[in-house]
Amino acid sequence: MSTGPQQNRIDLLQGTLDMLILRTLLFGPAHGHSIAHAIEHASEDVLQVEHGSLYPALHRLVRQGLLAAKDGISENNRKAKYYSLTAKGRKHLTAESSKWDRLTQAIGRIMQPAKEEES
Amino acid sequence: MSIWRRRNESLDGEIQDYLDRQIEQNITGGMQPDEARLAALRKLGPLARVKEDTRAAWGWLWVEQLSQDLRHSWRMLAKNPGFTLVAVLSLGIGVGANCAMFSMADMMLLRPLPVSRPSEVLTLGSTNFQISAAQYDFLRASYPDYVDVRDRSKSFAGLAAFNIDRVRFKSAPNASPSVKTGEVASGNFFDVMGVEPELGRVFRPDEDQVPGRDAVLVLTHNFWQQEFAADPAVLGRTVQMNGIPFTVIGVLPAKFTGVDQWVQPLFYAPMMMLPRLDGASQNSASTNPLQRREARYLSVKGRLKPGVTLAQAKAEVSTIAAALEKQYPDTNRNQKMTVRTELEARIKGVPVELAMTIMLMTLAMAVLLVACANVAVLLTSRGPVRAREIALRVAIGAGRARLIRQLITESLLLALAGALAGLALGYGGIVLLRGITYPSDVPVVFSFNLDQRALAFSLAVAVGSVLLFGLGPALQTTRTDVANALKNSGDVAAGRRRLWGRNFLVSAQVAISFVLLTMATFMYVGFRRQVVSGPGFRTEHLLMMTFDTSLLHYTGDQTRQFYKQLLDRSQSVTGVKSAALSSFMPLTVEAEGFGLVPEGYQLPSGKQNVQAMGSRVSDSYFETMQTPLLEGRGFRVTDSASSPRVAVVNETLARHYWPGQNPVGKRFRLNDRNGPWVEIVGLAKDSIYISLQEGRSEFVYLPDLQNPAVRMVLLVETAAGTADLTGPLRNVVSGLDADMPVLAARTMHDFYDARGIRTTTVIVELVMAMGLMGMFLALIGLYGLVSYAVSRRTREIGIRMAIGAAQGEVLWMVLRQGLVLTACGLGAGLILSLGTQRILAAAFPGGNHPAMDVITYPLLTIALLLVTMLAAYIPARRAARVDPLLALRHD
Repeated sequence: MSTGPQQNRIDLLQGTLDMLILRTLLFGPAHGHSIAHAIEHASEDVLQVEHGSLYPALHRLVRQGLLAAKDGISENNRKAKYYSLTAKGRKHLTAESSKWDRLTQAIGRIMQPAKEEES
Repeated sequence: MSIWRRRNESLDGEIQDYLDRQIEQNITGGMQPDEARLAALRKLGPLARVKEDTRAAWGWLWVEQLSQDLRHSWRMLAKNPGFTLVAVLSLGIGVGANCAMFSMADMMLLRPLPVSRPSEVLTLGSTNFQISAAQYDFLRASYPDYVDVRDRSKSFAGLAAFNIDRVRFKSAPNASPSVKTGEVASGNFFDVMGVEPELGRVFRPDEDQVPGRDAVLVLTHNFWQQEFAADPAVLGRTVQMNGIPFTVIGVLPAKFTGVDQWVQPLFYAPMMMLPRLDGASQNSASTNPLQRREARYLSVKGRLKPGVTLAQAKAEVSTIAAALEKQYPDTNRNQKMTVRTELEARIKGVPVELAMTIMLMTLAMAVLLVACANVAVLLTSRGPVRAREIALRVAIGAGRARLIRQLITESLLLALAGALAGLALGYGGIVLLRGITYPSDVPVVFSFNLDQRALAFSLAVAVGSVLLFGLGPALQTTRTDVANALKNSGDVAAGRRRLWGRNFLVSAQVAISFVLLTMATFMYVGFRRQVVSGPGFRTEHLLMMTFDTSLLHYTGDQTRQFYKQLLDRSQSVTGVKSAALSSFMPLTVEAEGFGLVPEGYQLPSGKQNVQAMGSRVSDSYFETMQTPLLEGRGFRVTDSASSPRVAVVNETLARHYWPGQNPVGKRFRLNDRNGPWVEIVGLAKDSIYISLQEGRSEFVYLPDLQNPAVRMVLLVETAAGTADLTGPLRNVVSGLDADMPVLAARTMHDFYDARGIRTTTVIVELVMAMGLMGMFLALIGLYGLVSYAVSRRTREIGIRMAIGAAQGEVLWMVLRQGLVLTACGLGAGLILSLGTQRILAAAFPGGNHPAMDVITYPLLTIALLLVTMLAAYIPARRAARVDPLLALRHD
C-alpha cells in the first residue's frame, strides 16, 4: 500500500457522491471511469471515491430519472455507456448545491468563529 | 427473462470498460501490465459486491434473491436426502395428526353456521332441559315461553324458533309415501338468519300468524335437486305432507345447510302449521303444541341489538324467566333461562364427544411435539456443518440479514414439504373418521372435511413448528466466529453444551411416546373388554323397525290398537321367534328422561324430582332383547292401564336409591311429588344405553300399556338361518294400514356395528396410530442422536481401541448413552401417564381397571426399552467395529 498522499485523502460524506456526480456531468455527458477520475482530479486527489460505489450510485440516479444513460462510442472507438443530466437532474443539482452552501457556511461558522471575527 | 440478461450483460460490459480504462491509465503511469490489472481491480473493490449493489439499485433484487434462495435451499435439501426425508416425514406425521383432529374439532365445535355474520348468532332457552344421565345440556323452549321472551325482551334484534319435524311426504297425491325430515320455523327465521332464497321467496311474516292457515313450503337446495330434479317449475306446485297439501314457494341456496349442527333438514314449513301437521286439535290447550307451555322442545336462536352485551341479554332473559315462573307456577317452576353463544352451546351439547375430541387433539399435539423435537435435533446436529458453510459465505461477503433470509426460505420450503406430506396423512385420518356414521331416523350428517379451514390450519401448524423449532438453531449458526469456524471442524466444548439440549429433547420424546402408548393400550384394553362382555342385549338375529302413529294423526285408541295388532301379527309370521316394542333404541341420543321421586330418598333442595333415562317397553321386551332380569319379574300383558303401575329398574339406579337392598317391592312417584305411585317389580342387568364408552347410567323400564307412546320400535327376534323377514313384516304393516310408513328397518347387528363398534374402533385406531407414530418418531430421534454422537467420537473411539479397549466395552459405552436417555424418558413418562390416566378415564370409563396398571405399565416399559435399545444398538455396533487406524486418520 502506498502511504504519502493517501493519508491526506478524505472519505466521501454520506450522500454527497450523488451531488458530485451530478455536478461533474454539468459539463456534458461522460462515462463511468471518467466521472470517477473527474471527481478525484477536481478535488486535487483529496476526495477518495470508492470506485466500486460509483456504479450503484449511477444506476440509482438513472432510476430516479436524474440521469439518462446512452450507449455511445468513445474517443478511441470503443463502445461505452454515457451518462448525461436530465432536466430533472439539473433542477435537483441546483437545489442540492444551495443546500450544500448553507450547510458548509453553517458548519464553518461553528468550527472557526474566531477567524471570522479577526478578518 | 431476456431483458434481465441484457441488463446484466450491459452491467458487465460497463464494468469491463472501467477496468480496461483504469488498466490503460495505470500502464501509462508506468506499471507493469499484471500489476496494473491488480491495481485496477483493487481500485474498483470486490467485483461481485459492486455488481450486486448495482443490481440492488434496479429495485428488482428481491425477486432475484428469492429465486436464488429457493434454488439454494432446494440444493441444500436435495444434497442431504436423509436429513430432508426424516425432517419432512416427521413434520408430515405431526401435521397430519393435527389436520385430521382439526377436522374433527371443526365439525364438533368450530365450523361457523352457514348464515350471514354467524358469530353473532346466540342460542336461548331453558337450562333444565337435559337428560341427566348423559349430561347432554341443550337449551330448549316451549312455544308460549318463546313468544313471551320474544315479545318482552329488548335485547334482541330478532329471535327465531324452529324444530325438527318428521313428516309423511308425497310429491303428488298418488305418489308412494316416504318419511322426510324438515323443520318448522317461526316466520322471522330466514330474516333473523339472513338467508335469501335462490328461487321464489321465503315466508312472509303474515304466513306465521294464524294456526293452520298458510300451508307454504320452502325447499332446501338438496331436496329440490333430489326430489324435484332441480326443476324451476317447482314453485307453486302442491305436495302432500301428513296428508295436508302444501304449496312450494321457494328454494334455498345450496350453501345454507341449516342451523342445526347435526341434522340437515330438507324443507321449512311455518311454525303455525305444526298443530295441523301433528294432527292435534287446535282448540285443545292440552294437545296443541303451540299452547303447551310445558312442552319444551323448540330451539331458539337470535341476534342481539347493536350495543347490547351478552351479559345484559342474559340478565334480561333470566328476569323474564323469573316473571314467567311466578305467572305460570304449574309449568315454569324452576325453569331458568339463559343465552349462550354458538360455541358455548355446542360445548355443553356434546360433553362426552367433546372430552374425546379434546383428548384426541391433545394427543395430536403431543405427536407434533415429538415430531418437532426430531426436526430440532436434526437441525442442531447439522449446526457445525452449516456453521462452516455459513462462515465461508460471510468471509466472501454475505451480509447477516441476507443469510437469515436464506435460512428462513430454507425453513419455509421444509415446512411446505412437511405440510404436503401432512395433508396426505391427514386425509387418510379423515377417511378413517368418515367411518363414523350415525344410523338414525333423522338424517344426521357428520361432515369431516379437508376444506380450506383444515388446509390453512395444517399449513400454519407446519410453518409455526419449523419457525419455532428449526429456525432458532439455524440462526445461531449465523453468529459464528468466522475464523474459528473455518479453522475447526467442530468445537468440542460448544458441542457438549448443544448435546445437552438434544439429550433433553430425545428423553422428552421417549416420555411423550410412552404416555401415548399407555393411553392407546388403556383404550384398546377397555374397548376389547367392552366388546367381549357385550352390550347387555341381543345383537344377533334381531330386526328393528320404527313407527310413528302421529304421522297419520292416530287417536290414542287407534295407536294402542295398531301396536297391539302389529305385535300380535308379527309374532305369527313364520321365522319370528318373538317380538317386542320399545320406545327407545340403545345407542341413540333420543333417550327419554323420566322424573322420579324414590320413596324414602331425600331429594336435593330445590329439586322436584331426580332424572333417569327410560324406555316404554312391551311385555316380551326382556326376553326378546335378552336383557337378564336379576330379581323379580318382567312385564306381563296384565300390566295394563287399569292395573297398578309397575316398573323395572337397572342395577345402577337401584344401587343409587336403595343401596345394598333388593329394589323389588320398593316404590317411587313418577314425574314429581304429586305423580302416581309406581311399584318396582324387577331388577334388570345394566347394559349400554347411549354409547359404548359411557359410564354407568341409571335406567328405568315402564310397561307401554301403562305409558303409551306414539313412536315405537318393533324388535323382532328371528330364528337362526331365516332369510330376511323385512318383506313379510312390511306386508303385516301395510295390512294394518297401507299409509303407515316404516321409518327405519335394519338389523340390530348392523346398527350395533355402526353405532357401537365402528365408532369406537375408529377412535381406538386413531389413538393407536398416534401412539405408534409417536414411538416411531422417538426411535428416529434416538437413533439419530446416538449415530451423531458416534460420528463425533470416532477418533476418540479409535484411540480407546488402539490402547486396548475391547469391542464389547465400546459397544456398552455407546449403548449406555442411549440407555440413560431412555431411562430418564421412561421415568418422566410414567409420572406423566399417571396424570393422564385420570383424564382418560373421564373420556373412556370402560378402560378403567386396576389390572391395567399392573400389566400395562411394566409390559410397555419393557417393550419400549427393547425397541429403543435396538435403535441405539445399530450405531453402537458401528462404533464397536471402528478400525482404529482409519479412525485416527478421520477428518
